[in-house]
Amino acid sequence: MKKSLYEYAIAKSKASRRTFLKGAAGAGAVAAMSGGLSSVATNAFGASDLRSAILKIPGVGVGSPGDADWQKVGEMCLGGTKERVKEGEFNGVEISFLGLDSLNLHNMLHRGFLKPWEKYTGAKIKWIDLAQADYNARLQQSIATGTVDFDIVQSGAPYEGDLCGKGLTSEMPGWVADQIDLADYVGYLQAPTGTWDGKTYRISIDGDCHNFNYRTDYFENEDLAKAWKDEGHSGNWEVPTTWQKVTEVSKFLKGKKHAGFPAYGYLDVQKGWGGFGFYFLGSIATAYAKHPDSPAFLFEPETMKPMVNNPAWVRAIQDVLDRRDCQPPDQINADPGVTGFSQFLAGTGSMVSWWGDVGSNANTSDESLVQGNVGFDILPGSDDVYNWKTGKWETLSSGPNYAPNMAYIGWGLYCMKTVDMDTTKRKAAWSACAHIGGKDLSLWMSMYPSGFQPYRNSHFNIDEWVGAGYTNAFASDYLASEADSYNHPNAAIEPRIPGIFQYYSIAEDELSKIYAGEYDAQTGADNIAAAWDKITDQIGRENQIKLYKASLGL
Amino acid sequence: MTKPTSIERDPLYVVAPPIVTDKTKRFGHIIVWGTFTLMFLLAIIQFLNTNEHITFGFKTWRPVLYAYILWACAIGYSRVLIYGEKGKRTLFVFPAVMFILSIVIFPMLFGLYISFTDWNLSSIDGREFNGLDNFYQMISDPYYWNALKNMIYYVLAVLVEFAIAFLLALLLNSQIRGRKFFRIAFLIPLMLSPVAVSWMVGKSMLEQRFGPVANLGRFLGWETPTFFSSPEIARLTMMCMDAWTFIPLMIIMLLAGLQALPKEVLEAAKVDGANKWTMFKNIIFPIMLPVSLTTLVIRIIFKLKLADIIIIVTAGGPGGATDSVTSFIVREYRDRSNVGYGTLLSFVYLILIIIFMTILIRFVNRWLQRAA
Repeated sequence: MKKSLYEYAIAKSKASRRTFLKGAAGAGAVAAMSGGLSSVATNAFGASDLRSAILKIPGVGVGSPGDADWQKVGEMCLGGTKERVKEGEFNGVEISFLGLDSLNLHNMLHRGFLKPWEKYTGAKIKWIDLAQADYNARLQQSIATGTVDFDIVQSGAPYEGDLCGKGLTSEMPGWVADQIDLADYVGYLQAPTGTWDGKTYRISIDGDCHNFNYRTDYFENEDLAKAWKDEGHSGNWEVPTTWQKVTEVSKFLKGKKHAGFPAYGYLDVQKGWGGFGFYFLGSIATAYAKHPDSPAFLFEPETMKPMVNNPAWVRAIQDVLDRRDCQPPDQINADPGVTGFSQFLAGTGSMVSWWGDVGSNANTSDESLVQGNVGFDILPGSDDVYNWKTGKWETLSSGPNYAPNMAYIGWGLYCMKTVDMDTTKRKAAWSACAHIGGKDLSLWMSMYPSGFQPYRNSHFNIDEWVGAGYTNAFASDYLASEADSYNHPNAAIEPRIPGIFQYYSIAEDELSKIYAGEYDAQTGADNIAAAWDKITDQIGRENQIKLYKASLGL
Repeated sequence: MTKPTSIERDPLYVVAPPIVTDKTKRFGHIIVWGTFTLMFLLAIIQFLNTNEHITFGFKTWRPVLYAYILWACAIGYSRVLIYGEKGKRTLFVFPAVMFILSIVIFPMLFGLYISFTDWNLSSIDGREFNGLDNFYQMISDPYYWNALKNMIYYVLAVLVEFAIAFLLALLLNSQIRGRKFFRIAFLIPLMLSPVAVSWMVGKSMLEQRFGPVANLGRFLGWETPTFFSSPEIARLTMMCMDAWTFIPLMIIMLLAGLQALPKEVLEAAKVDGANKWTMFKNIIFPIMLPVSLTTLVIRIIFKLKLADIIIIVTAGGPGGATDSVTSFIVREYRDRSNVGYGTLLSFVYLILIIIFMTILIRFVNRWLQRAA
């Protein structure tokens, strides 16, 4: 749960200083625009006594939870542990846990949740807290130098290539899968995510994907609607659902005004962000490059030949180039932090792709100037899709090709191989992870500030959110925007291969040159492909192919 | 024949020395070679074990480190056993020597070795010696040469910074009102962390939409005041931000030089009717030459390390226009885990800096000698 989202709910319960999409009608409109709440079960789950009880700690509207609350929730959710572990069974066992301390969340919560677990089982946890910026280097150095000094690691699925692919992680015992109810995960977090060579290694504690955020007031603007018609554009003035339309709308808005200010269309990321900026090109490219018949969209599985210079990716790059003239000034210096927060939330631009943060902050952050004027959808699609196997563009009989980008795939917990040498320690480590990744406790995390987003089907029960104190409109809209992306049958799931951020990082350097006008899209894409080939050769092509195929479940 | 004591050998002793005998000498040699043998054996065992040639060994290299410390202590003790009072004097220097050996020389040699390896942290095969491949890669790496080219621009900008710093130092040295306030105020940018400067200036004040500098630009008629959009303006903005941070350092050094100027000479020039420009051209600037050149050299050294504001504000963009060698190496090393290549780039840059600074300092010295 994003902290800001929670703070919004608190503020909302205390005083109606903001309205969110002006009630149920707005929510209904948003739901309709986002393809319906197809994945959101409004009444599928009855809130159990335990679930409704923990959701009242401390209760939405009575301030942010603290260590005492985390401990209390942790203690109440010990049922799964007690069924499988005897009291004091892990006396004398010490486990080291490497995680993040971002925003005083993540490991701070884990500490509280695991205190009652430690008391009950007798195990002791040694905490290793890392800042987000230090995380990648610390993890890679530990792996490369063989100095894995942690038993449990909080890690993202993109690192599974580095961790599971190198045999550093412990396979999940069957009893853990039962305790955490693996089948409850949303579609894209099911296998092959979290698995390697058919074995399961991950307990998910988070979900991540890119959504499409747009300004509802732009698309309700009658002057713009009239101008759209007058200029002879096809269709109504409405939220674009394909990238072709996104570009058309962006070009249409050039030079126009909305609410007295210059109007802008889609906000393109044109500056690197430590590798994370590449996800934003991916969010455009997946619609073109991710064919429903194949899970691959970055590399060809049999050869690791980069697809980044195929016509689909080049078209995505060309889209960005085509929209350069209708971007706000200085867009070449806009990284995702700028497009999401400095621009979109601050009122510049009408469309942006981002993780759930923009959606939640749009109506919750004091810095947001677009409260009540933001709608959410899955990422736009494309009228045609490139089939990399045949080398041809295809128009699907089902309509536009949609392929939501599951960027980063979310955080999970992994036990390291080091615990396998001691059966008691192994059980203790997995028990600790299962406690944090438990079904009930994870619901609490998805509703209260934790740094983690909903990731289980059972998290999308709106009644439980309403029961905890959220408004129906807020919960419906927020959850629908995520669920429809998570559960999309053609979701683009990034490959979990070693060094994936190396590929993204060098791509950002080349994209920067393309956007600066030093190369055309094809030349730049060829350069990226050449650099990616070099990385693949350096890391080991044969092994990368093997791991890539494994990560795709092929 | 009785053995001479330390007292007899060294009349300058002040502390009652122990007697150095053949026995103590022998013992000194034994502990040095004994501990060295122990360390060497442990290192060999650990090396073979790590490379899976033998099955026994230690979990980590820590025992080898302990053996190294023991060896270092044994060397220190042996100096006293073998050389008596002279050995004791050696002990004053010995820890520093060992410290430098351990944390400077050894890592540097290790780094040199790494720079000739193919070591990507994600590679399943780990580190592999690849000879000069990294060097050849560097030769054909447009990013590295682009960064080096940018460094030339950045270093040339030091001359402009120097002119501004000299002017401000002259002002602060004159009897202007609020001189003390300005002396402190001018120092503030130097006290700020480059990270803070990057966010406060680069990301806030220069922000195109709401930044006060951008607003001022609009007020003055600049329609779209963007500071990082075109390569030239972005590089210039980066130079300005760096200059804003480091000009105070140059001011301090130059001000110290100005305050040390011989007053009699200046007064004599005044009496002779020299105007301000003549005084500056013929007296102040020539006398300040040593300080000025030292200031320039130090500033250039700082400039060659330029990285933080670039990484934060532009990430080297647009299109590599603001990239510095260090910011590029950081990306190669940190973001791409390319340790072998990144290390080679660092070593080549270090060598280039050493060559450049050596030439610069020699040139400066010759100039100063000629001026004298």
